Amino acid sequence: MDIVVCVKTNPDLQMVRVKNREAVVEAVPYKLGDLDKNALETAIQLRDAAGGTITAVSVAEGNRKIRETIKEALAMGADSAAVVDDPALAGADPAAVAAVLAAAVKKLPGCDLVLFGEGSTDNYSGQVGPRVAELLGVPQVGFARKVEAVDGAVRCERSMDEMIETLEVALPAAVTVVSEINEPRIPSLMHIMKAKSKPVEEWTLADLGVDAGAVAARREIVSNLAEEQDRKHVLFEGSAAEQADAFVNALIKEGVLGR
Amino acid sequence: MEKVECIVVGGGLAGLSAAYGLADAGVEVMVLERGDYSGAKNVTGGRLYASPIRSFYPELWEEAPFERAVARELVTMLGDGAQTTIEVASDRFTADPPQSYTVLRARFDQWLAEKVGEKGGMVVPNMKVDALLREEGRIIGIRAGEDEIGADVVIVAEGVLRLLSSEAGLAAEPVDRDHALGFKEVIELPPGVIEDRWHLNPGEGAAQLFLGNVTDGMLGGGFLYTNKESISLGVVVGMKAMRERAEKAKPQDASESYQLLDRFKALPQIRPLVAGGTVAEYSAHAIPEGGIAAVPKLAGDGYLMAGDAAGLALNALITVRGMDFAIASGYYAAEAVKAAKARADFSAAGLAGYEASLRGSFVLKDLQTASQIPAFMENPRLFTHYPRAVSRLLEQIYTVGPGPTPGLFKTAWGGIRRDFMNTGTVKDAWSARRI
Amino acid sequence: MSDESTMKIDAKLGLDVFKLDKEPHIVIDTEVCRTLCVDRACLYVCPASLYELDDTGRMTVNWEGCLECGTCMICCDKRALTWKYPRGPYGVQYRMS
Repeated sequence: MDIVVCVKTNPDLQMVRVKNREAVVEAVPYKLGDLDKNALETAIQLRDAAGGTITAVSVAEGNRKIRETIKEALAMGADSAAVVDDPALAGADPAAVAAVLAAAVKKLPGCDLVLFGEGSTDNYSGQVGPRVAELLGVPQVGFARKVEAVDGAVRCERSMDEMIETLEVALPAAVTVVSEINEPRIPSLMHIMKAKSKPVEEWTLADLGVDAGAVAARREIVSNLAEEQDRKHVLFEGSAAEQADAFVNALIKEGVLGR
Repeated sequence: MEKVECIVVGGGLAGLSAAYGLADAGVEVMVLERGDYSGAKNVTGGRLYASPIRSFYPELWEEAPFERAVARELVTMLGDGAQTTIEVASDRFTADPPQSYTVLRARFDQWLAEKVGEKGGMVVPNMKVDALLREEGRIIGIRAGEDEIGADVVIVAEGVLRLLSSEAGLAAEPVDRDHALGFKEVIELPPGVIEDRWHLNPGEGAAQLFLGNVTDGMLGGGFLYTNKESISLGVVVGMKAMRERAEKAKPQDASESYQLLDRFKALPQIRPLVAGGTVAEYSAHAIPEGGIAAVPKLAGDGYLMAGDAAGLALNALITVRGMDFAIASGYYAAEAVKAAKARADFSAAGLAGYEASLRGSFVLKDLQTASQIPAFMENPRLFTHYPRAVSRLLEQIYTVGPGPTPGLFKTAWGGIRRDFMNTGTVKDAWSARRI
Repeated sequence: MSDESTMKIDAKLGLDVFKLDKEPHIVIDTEVCRTLCVDRACLYVCPASLYELDDTGRMTVNWEGCLECGTCMICCDKRALTWKYPRGPYGVQYRMS
């Protein structure tokens, strides 16, 4: 099975500080998205069980750190990679990214399965997977927590509120996975060293035959601020029992505790 | 076994400096750094003396992400309720080029790692080395997880704790007598406030050391460095002194070392310096303070030791250095490996140029000059009696009470006789002649 | 973040990034602590205040908040500690310092 895993480079959110409600991203490392790692791990397990190849594909969106991220994907176990980098992609929105990814998948020699994380670690729009499936005209399963290869198809399991749904889709198909699906491997030093010599294709929009106008952002980010927490600063006085009573009453009044 | 020409264990300043020189010369070099990035596990007080290292890699320092060029040097002696500060400002401290800069490591080391990458060196983050591989007395590579990777030469720049080199028998395990604990808060303040508080021109910085009422009589002191948009405020305290204190402590004494910083920060003399600031990070690190006597063998068959791992740091009371030594030792390590490669001899003999260069440079010369300082600093009077006595003397000179005030000379002489003319001080002065 | 002049040590550690491994990187031989050690230097020296005696008097360490300075290891002259650095992606990650 030839698999394409679409991956994105994200600032390591745990390392982001907030100062005056703004995120401080200076000196924050960029990493392969957490859920993208789950998708890649899924691909590695499918390939190791059934053979085939894995290509990691990423869209640069004007971010030069993409090269490091792609190396991470290759070190984990992708066989090759393709990066689409074009100045026109700065500020690309999910629709544009999906259009570029779909064009990239079409350009690759063969693809049976396209895997995604259910959303990106940073913006988490969750749109790109379904959009790519639509553009490629292939069936899509979202939020898979198990993916198995069966003859000419994949069988996916997903958790619906009170039941587990099992779906089988004929290949080619697109699947997005959730974090419970697996524990992504940490690349070993040997794999990191070997990743250096794995092939990486570099494409521009022109290489894919995508018009720069088609990826112009149709979305404007108006503000991106940390939530402000407002505390009530209520101090309860009296004996411990009185304080506890007053505290519980206040919580009931706030609707935090039910009557 | 997979093999590269040179493996550098540790992507701090010593390791990166070595890798930069090697990559620049076309040597295949791989730096293994256990943090998320270079600088993620590092802590500095924070000042880097640039003058000693400017001639190495001169192209680098113009664009280095320093915080502020240090224009003002302050030493504060904290007595009981009285303090004395000596402040030195010199045009020459910040003349083109400035002699020293404040630094924050997350930013600085990451930048240097990028420069190594640009030269073609490979820096692998998140990669902890688990062992140095030894075969017939020779270091032949490293083990990381399941993987063993060979190398013609391993540059051991693993940092002060020497976990790997001591396990491999290349150096002794660190001991309390030769180490101090440093811990600090990075406190954010607007640049204008920093410049007002320390009387600085925009972009200039101050370095302030504190002796006396900081470490509860233990070897050590306080420090304050102004960064671009924050200050680094911390305490350094000798490990041996801390351990002796723990030995003497009564069971009900629940005091802990971290509280030294809180008490320091709460002093009426310090409060106005940090007022309005927001604590953004808390960090701690061990510091090599054993001086030249604690420097291990610097090279052997297949390996070199650099930076803190080699004990290359110097606390000379007024000047505290380590990062310049790290960068210099990395530079000389790279030179030695290049020479060894040219002769295809990575034995102890082939790498002997390393120690020779360090001996010929400021690194071991300055450590040699300061060889008596560690013993001198074990004198607790330095951290108790003298800061108090100086401040008490000056306080009395400046005091006008309700009654008649004695003459200046009488006050001064009385104070000097009381606190400085005794056998203890004479002995201390005698031992100070060698520092 | 706080602008209090002094903060609780837990609040200070809360400013730092810790990436948690499942395995501890500091292991205490509590038998050594119990039988050989009276000074308990670790309780004093740790700048993150991670060492504690539990209700039964057994030494414990909250290794998750470790700043990886190594002071406890150097100061433990009874050699009760097996002290390693955390594995690659784990442990404290400084963003300034």
